[in-house]
Amino acid sequence: MNALAEGLGQIADPTVLLCILIGALAGMLVGTFPGLTATMAVALASAFTLSMDPIPGLAVLLTIYVAANFGDRVPAILINTPGTPASICTTFDGYPMAKKGLAGVALTVSAFASAIGTFLGLILLVVAAIPISRLALEFGPAETFALVVFGLTMMVGVSGGKIGKGLIAGAVGLALASVGRDPITGTERFTFGVLELSDGIPFIAVIIGLFGIADILDQMLSYRAEKHTPISNFGRWWPNRSEMKRMVKPLGIGTGIGAVVGAMPAAGGDIAGIMSWAAAKKASKHPEEFGKGSIEGLTAGDTASNAGIGPSVATTLALGIPGDSVMAVVLGSLIVWGIQPGPALFTSQPDLVWSIAGILAVATVLTLGLSLLRLRGVTKLLELKPHYLWTVIIVFCMVGTFAVNNSVIDVVVMLIFGVVGLFMRRHGFPAGPVVLGLILGKLAEGNLRRALEIGGPENILGSPIAVTILLISLAAVTLPPVIDRLRARRAVRRAASTSSNPTDQPLEQKETTIS
Amino acid sequence: MNHNTRTRFRRIVPAAAAAAIAAVALAGCANRGGEAAQSGDFPSKSITMVVPYQAGGASDLSARTLAAEMEKKLGQSIVVENRVGGAGSVGLTYLSARPADGYTIGYLPVETVMLGYQGYDIDPARYDLLGQIVSVPATIAVPANSPYKTLQDLIDAAKAKPGTITVANSGAGSIWQAATKALNKTAGVELKPVPFDGGAPAVNAAIAGQVDAVAAGVSETSVAAADGRLRVLAILNDKASAALPGVATAKELGTDVSIGGWGAVGTPAGLPDDVRDELAAAVKAAAESESFVSVIKKSGNLPVYEAPEAFQAFYDAEAKRFSTLFAK
Repeated sequence: MNALAEGLGQIADPTVLLCILIGALAGMLVGTFPGLTATMAVALASAFTLSMDPIPGLAVLLTIYVAANFGDRVPAILINTPGTPASICTTFDGYPMAKKGLAGVALTVSAFASAIGTFLGLILLVVAAIPISRLALEFGPAETFALVVFGLTMMVGVSGGKIGKGLIAGAVGLALASVGRDPITGTERFTFGVLELSDGIPFIAVIIGLFGIADILDQMLSYRAEKHTPISNFGRWWPNRSEMKRMVKPLGIGTGIGAVVGAMPAAGGDIAGIMSWAAAKKASKHPEEFGKGSIEGLTAGDTASNAGIGPSVATTLALGIPGDSVMAVVLGSLIVWGIQPGPALFTSQPDLVWSIAGILAVATVLTLGLSLLRLRGVTKLLELKPHYLWTVIIVFCMVGTFAVNNSVIDVVVMLIFGVVGLFMRRHGFPAGPVVLGLILGKLAEGNLRRALEIGGPENILGSPIAVTILLISLAAVTLPPVIDRLRARRAVRRAASTSSNPTDQPLEQKETTIS
Repeated sequence: MNHNTRTRFRRIVPAAAAAAIAAVALAGCANRGGEAAQSGDFPSKSITMVVPYQAGGASDLSARTLAAEMEKKLGQSIVVENRVGGAGSVGLTYLSARPADGYTIGYLPVETVMLGYQGYDIDPARYDLLGQIVSVPATIAVPANSPYKTLQDLIDAAKAKPGTITVANSGAGSIWQAATKALNKTAGVELKPVPFDGGAPAVNAAIAGQVDAVAAGVSETSVAAADGRLRVLAILNDKASAALPGVATAKELGTDVSIGGWGAVGTPAGLPDDVRDELAAAVKAAAESESFVSVIKKSGNLPVYEAPEAFQAFYDAEAKRFSTLFAK
């Protein structure tokens, strides 16, 4: 209790609070700007914060981390472009909601889901840091491979009802993941001599292209001045009571998945969000609304991609193993400040742990407040005529993508994927599976090969965790069609007596306009 | 229909034009610089320092800390530019293609002398050296509950079961994978290197006992060694490390292998002598400054300054060593 008072007391300092405010503003700005990631912002800030004391320094770094994970939802909802990879899942339902004139509700729900997710993850950090970090340690190559396979079973879920096209898109994503150096031998594959591709296809460029640029191209080509209703019509801001009620279950699902995935090294909010979105869809009473503007989908994704922050900090502090790329940068600063992460930190410097938890909590509340305040300002921006807006967005996307690696190749990749995304959209191929394949393909291949290098197939089959997860994955793929068929058969039998035909659903109407 | 198409076209043209202008501007940014240096008043404008790795990593930390100290000496600002990709070859290629006027300098990691043997078009001779600034000795560590108590235990086990004792490292073609190979070569054994995706997951795998051992830098193993989760068997360096008290060097243990990462500052080859002297003096002052030394020490690495001439000999020897180590 003493450590609690001492740790929180250190945050009450005006300098620290100012640092949190600066971090919140910087983080939200970076998050809103597509292409600029939290990792990059924290890395650049750490050059300045190293000369500060640990607590104010951590206040800046951790607040940027939290705030970027709020700011990135805004472009995801309003212009279908994830501000950082963590908000890929926000585009699935957030943007359709905005198109329906519910942008206000979407922004509010997203902000609250993010805040609640962060808080629940934070509670896990405080009460269960050591067990969480043990769990993370259990996940070697074999277990990680199994988890990634489970993630890949979500492919069907993110296909938006078009399973065949979804699987094709997923296969394309997996194929794209094989570009670059072989993870084990280091041999070059499919790079065609382009040096910049030897680390693989630049992921951020792909998502900005597939989601943002593709959408703008689509809007340009199907623009009708008389039919145009700008998104600046935000509609109401607050979700009504029934909408709030529908947020509860996805909040739980999102926190659970976000916490587990967040604790894994190498897996971050992007994967957690997509997995949670697909899981919530399976558990929902209205799965047909997912991808077309479902509050549940929006909540599940945003909760999960933020619930990982706490566990990610926990593994970093308790193991000295960064839970994601942002914490890898923070870890570097911690070591220079003379803070030795490890299980001993929780007994030797409990006040520091409380300070960190306190910083995260204050940052979350402040950022939530800021994002509710600032929302109104965004409206003005979106009232611009669409062709000005498109231009501004395209330029921003190009600059942001260039900034990731200072590389023109990345911008070229972004534009190519913009055109690919347009093609996919016009022909009914969902973009989600491509992204899932691209993120998970690399992890799946690297970890499978690593596991086999270490101990052959026995290494995977001998791990209870890996086998369990693989069996669950198998069930996730095979059971739903079997159950559907049984249900259908029963329905047919029942229908035979009333002579109607309920099995075939009417084909979906094409949303695209072809002139 | 025709009217619609034309309206649409009118909307698209300005957007496309703006995008094209942005592309040109970006390309322009990328190829900026290159005015000839006027000797005598060097430096008369800000200097760019190319770091071939991600912002926030250990190399970036060393480079940025050094840059801040060099600014004081040179009286001009130094802009650190991270050009990431291809295990460092993107940044190194970019650096070697810059004009040798002293306004572009770069952080040269050990990979500068390794990548050429791994299928990348990187030639150590394309750079003029301004001095070494940091050294990152390799360590071999095992889980705390490992049956291998000494380096000799590990070597004996590898002799008994060649190719089955696994040693994690940070990635295919990394210096830590090379360290395992160097150990194999010196001791005449066959430890099996397992590349991970980064240093932290490799160390994690060793702590959890998923691999038999890990080869990693002092800064990566010292944290887990301090609280007893890892046992560092040896430092693969001539000198012991303050970060790992009580750990002997491999040479002291009878296996004479010295390998590890290092960082230096260099420029594109062909630098005018007076500019080089000016920059080398700034590197020396910065690398020996109190703040640089203390930051590097805290990060677990060794602040080691070597003057350009002495370092050139080491650089050439390293290039030669890797040519044999990576020969198949």
